[in-house]
Amino acid sequence: MTTSLADHLRTLSDESLAALLRLRPDLVVPVPADVSALAIRAQSRVSVARALDGLDQFTLQILDAARLTRHPEEGGTSVDAILALATTGPHPPAPTAVRGALDRLRALFLLYGPEHDLHLVGGVDEVSPYPAGLGRPAAELAPRAAAVCTDPAKLRRTLLAAPPSARAILDRLAAGPPVGTVPPGALEAPATGTEDALPPDLVNGGAPTGSPIRWLVEHRLLVRMSAVKGGGTVELPREVGLLLRRDSGPLGPLRTSPPVVATPPREAKAVDSAGAGQTMEVVRQTEALLESLAAEPAPVLRSGGVGVRDLRRLARGLGLDDSTTALLFEVAYAAGLVGELDLTGAATTRYGGDQQILPTGGYEVWRASSLAERWEQLARAWLTMTRQVGLVGQRDDRDRPISVLSAEAERAGAPAARLAVLAILADLAPATAPTPDEVLELLDWRAPRRARGREAAHREVLAEAAQLGVTGLNALTSYGRLLLADVTEADERADDPLGLLSDAESGEPSTAVRALDALLPAPVDHFLVQADLTVVVPGPPDPTLAGELDVVAEHESAGGASVHRVTTASVRRALDAGYSADDLHALFRRRSRTPVPQGLTYLVDDVARKHGGLRVGSAGGYVRSDDEALLTEVLADKRLEALAFRRLAPTVLATPYQVQRMLTALRDAGYAPVPEDASGATVLARPKTRRAPARVPVATRGLDPLAAPRLPMPRLLGVVEQIRRGEAAARAARRAPAVVRGGAARTGPAPAHTHSDALAVLQQAVRDKALVWVGYVDAHGATASRLVRPVSIGAGYLRAEDERTEMLHTFALHRITAAVLED
Amino acid sequence: MSGGPLIVQSDKTLLLEIDHPDAQACRMAIAPFAELERSPEHVHTYRLTPLGLWNARAAGHDAEGVVDSLIKYSRYPVPHALLVDVAETMDRYGRLQLVNDPAHGLVLRALDRVVLIEVAKSKKLAGMLGAKLDDDTIAVHPSERGRLKQALLKLGWPAEDLAGYVDGEAHPIELAEAGKDGVKPWTLRSYQREAVEAFWAGGSGVVVLPCGAGKTLVGAAAMAEAKATTLILVTNTVAGRQWKRELIARTSLTEEEIGEYSGERKEIRPVTIATYQVLTSRKKGAFTHLDLFGARDWGLVVYDEVHLLPAPIFRFTADLQARRRLGLTATLVREDGREGDVFSLIGPKRYDAPWKDIEAQGWIAPAECTEVRVTLTDAERMAYATAEAEERYRMAATARTKLPVVKALVDRHPNEQVLVIGGYIDQLHQLGEYLDAPIVQGSTTNKERERLFDAFRSGEVRTLVISKVGNFSIDLPEAAVAIQVSGTFGSRQEEAQRLGRVLRPKADGRQAHFYTVVSRDTIDTEYAAHRQRFLAEQGYAYTIVDADDVLGPSLPSFD
Repeated sequence: MTTSLADHLRTLSDESLAALLRLRPDLVVPVPADVSALAIRAQSRVSVARALDGLDQFTLQILDAARLTRHPEEGGTSVDAILALATTGPHPPAPTAVRGALDRLRALFLLYGPEHDLHLVGGVDEVSPYPAGLGRPAAELAPRAAAVCTDPAKLRRTLLAAPPSARAILDRLAAGPPVGTVPPGALEAPATGTEDALPPDLVNGGAPTGSPIRWLVEHRLLVRMSAVKGGGTVELPREVGLLLRRDSGPLGPLRTSPPVVATPPREAKAVDSAGAGQTMEVVRQTEALLESLAAEPAPVLRSGGVGVRDLRRLARGLGLDDSTTALLFEVAYAAGLVGELDLTGAATTRYGGDQQILPTGGYEVWRASSLAERWEQLARAWLTMTRQVGLVGQRDDRDRPISVLSAEAERAGAPAARLAVLAILADLAPATAPTPDEVLELLDWRAPRRARGREAAHREVLAEAAQLGVTGLNALTSYGRLLLADVTEADERADDPLGLLSDAESGEPSTAVRALDALLPAPVDHFLVQADLTVVVPGPPDPTLAGELDVVAEHESAGGASVHRVTTASVRRALDAGYSADDLHALFRRRSRTPVPQGLTYLVDDVARKHGGLRVGSAGGYVRSDDEALLTEVLADKRLEALAFRRLAPTVLATPYQVQRMLTALRDAGYAPVPEDASGATVLARPKTRRAPARVPVATRGLDPLAAPRLPMPRLLGVVEQIRRGEAAARAARRAPAVVRGGAARTGPAPAHTHSDALAVLQQAVRDKALVWVGYVDAHGATASRLVRPVSIGAGYLRAEDERTEMLHTFALHRITAAVLED
Repeated sequence: MSGGPLIVQSDKTLLLEIDHPDAQACRMAIAPFAELERSPEHVHTYRLTPLGLWNARAAGHDAEGVVDSLIKYSRYPVPHALLVDVAETMDRYGRLQLVNDPAHGLVLRALDRVVLIEVAKSKKLAGMLGAKLDDDTIAVHPSERGRLKQALLKLGWPAEDLAGYVDGEAHPIELAEAGKDGVKPWTLRSYQREAVEAFWAGGSGVVVLPCGAGKTLVGAAAMAEAKATTLILVTNTVAGRQWKRELIARTSLTEEEIGEYSGERKEIRPVTIATYQVLTSRKKGAFTHLDLFGARDWGLVVYDEVHLLPAPIFRFTADLQARRRLGLTATLVREDGREGDVFSLIGPKRYDAPWKDIEAQGWIAPAECTEVRVTLTDAERMAYATAEAEERYRMAATARTKLPVVKALVDRHPNEQVLVIGGYIDQLHQLGEYLDAPIVQGSTTNKERERLFDAFRSGEVRTLVISKVGNFSIDLPEAAVAIQVSGTFGSRQEEAQRLGRVLRPKADGRQAHFYTVVSRDTIDTEYAAHRQRFLAEQGYAYTIVDADDVLGPSLPSFD
């Protein structure tokens, strides 16, 4: 068969061969050596899987039809056979549709050969083992099942007799895939006498049924494929499956065209408007995010990414939820607006990382460009970034949270998923607004093999597209469509390796930007001032106006317009920034489209009047005097010019120089100044002579430093008393004989005092009620001794009384090393 | 870009440029779901709140309509996220319903079972829900209806209240628009009619109208609509008597049908007017007069000056959810921030009209607000500078320097009835002596008050000095000039209420004047700025003048 595909390929013209390679570009990586190598690759599992991935549901079903109609031995089929099978259902597709699907399959060389002898390439069966979700023929599975299937009437009767729960299982398997896993124990015969949910088995003469699966297996409607501890898998034979599909046709329900979007379309204008509003919002939010990052950069975690705490902080600052903030953050990073900065030296953050995320130089460029261009940069970055932001906040395999910008959220397939979803929207008529479910359904039809299992990711794409204003009211916006076309065309520009056709470098804004620009409001250069001292800019302010308002008013609300409030503090700030009251009046008059309210004028004048009412400066020192004439004299004194006196008040002069220098200069000039301290008290200064630190004179020491100190009588008496007390204590503490004390018993020449001797001594002592020194090893292995009066010996223990402490002690006999009678 | 009058902000405020030709239509479109927050002269601010959106749902507006009107009138593209948020918020309304079950009485029924499970688990609802009747229904004790609604609102799953209202004991009440006992024929003004209709359609709620715009008549019209026994709660006895007079003159009610329930008299009649004070008076820690709520089968409860509703009445109102409730106020700003409680217990705001609109229609007198800044003498400044922080406002507000300025202002309007309003009794006595005018204060007896007010109304007394008792609910239609010398710190609603004293339309359409005398460069100025905020947001532009301009030899001509 391989050779026949190779033979077939050899007969093709160059153009046809090129067409195949165009459809299946993976065949030429690397370039095959010859046609047979090409044929082998075209039938390989990987390449076939890729080809199948791109097929829509209907074409795949027709491929299944081709597989089902294969001749069992020769493996060939024909267009007629396929047509016959595909059109047996209750809603047969148009033959042209089937032929169209076949043409697509043949163009891909998944089917090849003449119409009456079509062959399938080998890899198909490997890629999807169950054609049309049907099991293998019963004959291949088990002879006994085949026997049941040969009698259609009996098969039908058995099916009709199936209890409802068993029928549900059958229907499930009939819809495909035909293989099911059996829970352990489901195939066991039920214990007799147990109550069972199922009615007695009528076909088997009223025997208890057991589980529905058991019923099905018993009746050969299911074939058990493998057994693992009473469970395993079962397969539905093809014949049974086909019988169950009587109502929908052998291939299951066929849909020749994609499902129709039932949601009514929106007005194109409304879609664009909602999207454009969102673009303004997302650009504004991104800018706010970057500004707060500039104010407080986010530290990079050691494991990469930005911690959840910092994300929350940023989100709170922006008034957004965490997931939106994460999206904006990722997009800004992908767009090159933020980047890591290595922290040099020991400046490590509290997370221990040594990098910070903050806006890049690209941010300045971005900020200076128009709203639409800024959006385009973000949207392009989003389309092409290999990040799945929806994973942020979820937990990874090791149950650790995935953080923003971390490697765990990296998904190479993300751009493809975005393009696939947006392509679905782009293929619909403009302003068609499918619900997310409808989009998923469309995706499922368009490329079922690709869509399955990625529903969550696709939903995310839709949510993000709405968030970024690529879509509006669930429909693709006009500028979003242009952007998408632009991005997909970029791939096709590969035909133009020299970039001759590209206009990317020309500096012209792209079509998407131009389309969006037309939707966005033009900047305004005026505002409305109201009596409650609010200033409303009815649109996006132009940069100079925004700069002026930042200084003279507090920001209150943003969006399509911006609202500011003039307060005492803001006017003062403006005055501090160098505006005069007249400048402010002129500014309000020039910019305001409405008359400036008297209250505002008064406020500006009032603040200006008070502004600078207090003056603050620094001085090295001052001279004050109640005698103004004297101060005037000092000020005019030429000898004191170097002190640069300034008259602050009639009675105060200030100088930048230090007090000491001033004092000296004034005294030199013949004045009589007196210094003051901070509280205004006079500082008296007498001339000081320098001295070394104090030393103890020799005379106070004793004559002979080596002689013993002399002790006075009371101290001597105290010493004597101390000695006596010690002596008394020593007498009281009678010491144990040496043999009892640790060590001596073993090393000394006193073998008589062995363990048994000690026991004898103790027994005697019990009788005599005598005092005994007992040496023993305590629980910690240390030797100790005690003077006790034994009371009894028994059960391996000595019980003895310590007279001094009046306590009864118990000693384990095996621990006693020695015993000596007290003399 | 449609170039509409509306700008939608990210923080869910809506800016409406009122000079735009479509402004009026836009206002009509957004009024049902957006709350008017500020209405200065050029740009009005509305806010989208969950409460407002749910009220709109309750009134039969759907999310689609809200989104459409936002898009239709918006000048700039509306962010998609905001539209989604609006739709989602509105979708939360009505998943739960409070309905009367024929078998089990009041029940909470879920159209979305998951919500009911979520809600039933909440600790905040502990004790409010009764037995679970089936998967979708939980019994509710009727007395918990108000609290449950409030708690559900806080959980974000507002219940649609389909249990309806009790009709109460029927009592015939008609508006006497044809005239009665010497009163000329009259008709309800258009905004009063709209307010009553909005209230009646909603069942319960608050009507916000400027001072002097005839809130009493809204109450009377609501009573005529209800045709049932009515309990009216007012702030004080004088206000109660004004209500009584007005009701006798404007409705078919006679003197015998209206009872007064106050400290002096305890009458319970088909229409009973009670004061907040008597209801909240306690004996041995127990509220002794709360039985009044159950004394009759009231069909309507009217709360006058609802912004002053005291906390105990709040608690009791929660039990009155089956009765129709009408709240009346001019200034729904509570310095204690409990506006939300008013809405959830009495009902949402059903009608609100910008002051300047009513003024433009001629129903309240145009007013000119002037702030006169007095420069303290050096001695006063010195005393102020060294005063303790808590004494500073009193010192600044009661500065003697204000007296000649007040006198000059009084003299400036020789032919007008002048009210001088202050907060400090000592200062009022000084003013009384200085201006040779009678004083009405808290300790003045009701009888004396009535006498002085009558004398003022008749023109016998030209200048009246009043304390905080004049903050509300006294009807002095002829007062055309109010001079405020001191107040309760930065209270916004006090300022508005005081302005309200002079807003009754004058016979000859004269302008009203409102002066507030403040001491320059003191905390008095700061409080004044805060006090003026509500009125400034209503579009009253204060002119600030120096005292010298008032006192100086060359007085500027004042129309």
